Amino acid sequence: MKTIVLGIGNVILSDDGVGIHVSREIKKRIIDKNVTVDEAITGGMNLLDLIIGYDKAIIIDAVKSKDDEHGLVRRIPLSDFNTLHSCNPHDVSLMEAIEMAKKMGEKRIPEQIIVIGIMMKEIPCEFGETLSDEIQATVPKAIKLTLNELKNKI
Amino acid sequence: MKTITIDPITRLEGHGKITIFLNDQGNVENAYLQIPELRGFERFAQGRRAEDMPQITSRICGVCPVAHHFAATKALDAAFNVDPPSAAKKLRELMYMGYYIYDHILHFYYLGGPDFVVGPDAPPAKRNIIGVIEKAGLEIGKEVIKHRAYGQKITAILGGKATHPVCGLPGGVSKGLNKDEVKEIDRMVDSCIEFAKFSLKLFDDIVLKNKKYVDLILSDPYQLATYNMGLVDKNNKVNFYDGKIRVSDQKGEEILKFVVKDYTKHIVERVEEWSYIKFPFLKSIGWNGFTDGKDSGIYRVGPLGRLNAADGMATKLADKEYKRMFETLGGKPVNSTLAFHWARLIELLYATERAKELVNDSEITSQKIRNPVGEPGEGIGVTEAARGTLIHHYKLTDNGLIDKANLIVATTNNAGAINMSVRNAAKGMIKKGDVSNATLNMVEMAFRAYDPCFACATHTLPGGMPLEVNIYNSNKKLLKTLRQNI
Repeated sequence: MKTIVLGIGNVILSDDGVGIHVSREIKKRIIDKNVTVDEAITGGMNLLDLIIGYDKAIIIDAVKSKDDEHGLVRRIPLSDFNTLHSCNPHDVSLMEAIEMAKKMGEKRIPEQIIVIGIMMKEIPCEFGETLSDEIQATVPKAIKLTLNELKNKI
Repeated sequence: MKTITIDPITRLEGHGKITIFLNDQGNVENAYLQIPELRGFERFAQGRRAEDMPQITSRICGVCPVAHHFAATKALDAAFNVDPPSAAKKLRELMYMGYYIYDHILHFYYLGGPDFVVGPDAPPAKRNIIGVIEKAGLEIGKEVIKHRAYGQKITAILGGKATHPVCGLPGGVSKGLNKDEVKEIDRMVDSCIEFAKFSLKLFDDIVLKNKKYVDLILSDPYQLATYNMGLVDKNNKVNFYDGKIRVSDQKGEEILKFVVKDYTKHIVERVEEWSYIKFPFLKSIGWNGFTDGKDSGIYRVGPLGRLNAADGMATKLADKEYKRMFETLGGKPVNSTLAFHWARLIELLYATERAKELVNDSEITSQKIRNPVGEPGEGIGVTEAARGTLIHHYKLTDNGLIDKANLIVATTNNAGAINMSVRNAAKGMIKKGDVSNATLNMVEMAFRAYDPCFACATHTLPGGMPLEVNIYNSNKKLLKTLRQNI
C-alpha cells in the first residue's frame, strides 16, 4: 500500500502553515519506502494532482470551523466534508476536483483520504513564520494522530 | 438616503463578505463587499535578503505564484540596476504564457463559465465544472484537463516547479532551455492554440448565440464606466510581461502612459475604515467616492481593463478576436463586467500564440541568460497578473537587504470597481425583497467576473473561497445569511 502524507498551508502566514510544521516533523520520523511525506501550498485541482496514484492520502491542514474549539485536532475522513458548489474565484474544492476526475474515468484516486484537521475559529491574514502558542501546542497531537493513521490499514 | 455605518468590528478576516442593505420597499439601498487582505508584509519583508523576494512573494498566493515571482524579479532587476539579456526576458515571458494558459482555462471552465454554460439560475449543485461537462460533454472535460496541465507543464519546465518557480534572478534566469524541451513545449503550445480557438467558439455557441445571455451582458446592472488600465507594448498592444502602464478613459482615449517607476505619481491608495483592503485611484482625476464616470479616479484592471486600455493584441488571431469583441459589444470601451469572460478567452488565445512565437525564437536556447548585477538601490517591477496589474516596490539597504517593501496586487487595483459592480448588481437584481439563491447568484456573478484573489483563503480545507452574504432590512435587522464554504 502506497501512502502519501501531505502537509498543506502557507508557512509565511503563521498558523496557516501548521500542516507543514507537522509534516516536516513526520518526515524526520518515517523511513518507509511506501510512505511519501511532502508539503504543498495548494488546494483543489493541484492538490488532487499530488495525491493521485497513492492508495491512501493523509492531509494535514488548518480547517476553519465555527463549531469546534480553536486548536482542536480531529481526524476527518474527506467524505465528511460537504460538497460545495463552485463559488471560488480561484480554485475548486478538493471534492469537486475528485468528482470531476472520477467522471473523466480517473482510476488512481486514493481509496481513502483522511484529513488531520487543526480546527481554527479564524485563520490569520498576517505574515509571520512562527506558530502562535495555542497552535504550536497542537503539533504533538497532530503528529500522533498522523502516525496512528499510518498504522491503519484501509 | 439614510446613512449606514458599518462598525469596523465587522471587518472580517479570512473570507469575503457581501453586506446588502434593503430599504422599506425591499429594494437595495447599498451593498458592500469586504475581502480579506494580508497584512504586515512590509514588516515581514524588512531585513530579508532581496534575492529571496521572488521565492517569498510567490508564496503569497497559491494561484498567482508566477506573477509575484516575476514582479519581484523585475523589481530586483531595477533595484540592482541590471538589464537581463534578451534571451532571459524571452524565457521569462514564455514561462509567463504557460501561467496564463492554465490560469485562464481554470477560470473560464471551472469558475466563471458555469454561470453561462449551465445557466445563471441553475441550482448551485449543478453550477460547476461537473455541470459544464454534463452539458458540453465528457470529451471537452478531457480537453480542459489536458490543456490546463500543459500550461502547468510549460511553467514547470522553465521554472523548476509550477507552484514554486525558482528561475527568476536579478539580471536574468537560472536555467535555459535545451532543444528537447523546446520541442516538447512547441508540441503542447500547438495543441493549446487549437484549444483556445475552440474555447472562443464555445463561447460563441453558448453565450453569444443566446440572446438572453447577450442581453444579460449588456444589461444595466453589469455596466461600469470606470477608467481602464493595463500594460502595453510600444505599439500599444496588450502585453502581460512588460511595457508601459496605459490608462484610457470612458471614451476609450489614452489619458496616461507611464513607466512603473512613476507609479506613485499617478496612483494613490485610499484607506476606508470599513475595509482592510485599500482602494487605489488615479491621482490626476481624484477620489469621488464609489462612483464611475470621468470624475471618479477608480479604474479597472484585468482582462477587460487590459483590452480596453490597449489598441489591440500583438498576435494575429487574438487581434481578430479583439476587434470582433468590440464590434459586437458596441465599440470601445466595453463597460460590461460580464465581458471579462470574453476578454479572458481572447487573452488565452494571445498567450498561446505568443508562446508559439517565443518557443520558435532563435534565441530561446541561448545560454546567455544572466547579466551581472550592480549596486543595490531602489526598484519597482510590474507585470500583468492574470487578474490585473501587479506592482512590487523594494528599497534595499547598502548590503542588499530589504529596507522597505510595498505591493499593489491586482485585486487591490480592482477593489473599488468590484465593490461598485457588486452594489450595482444588487440594486438591479434584488427587487421587493427577493433574495432567492438565483438572485444572489446574479450578484455574485458581478464579482466572480473579475476573478479576484483572496490570498489567505486559497488553500484551507475544504477548499473553495469562503463567502458570506448578509441581507439587512431597513431597520438593520438581519433578514438572511447565506454561507458558502465557511
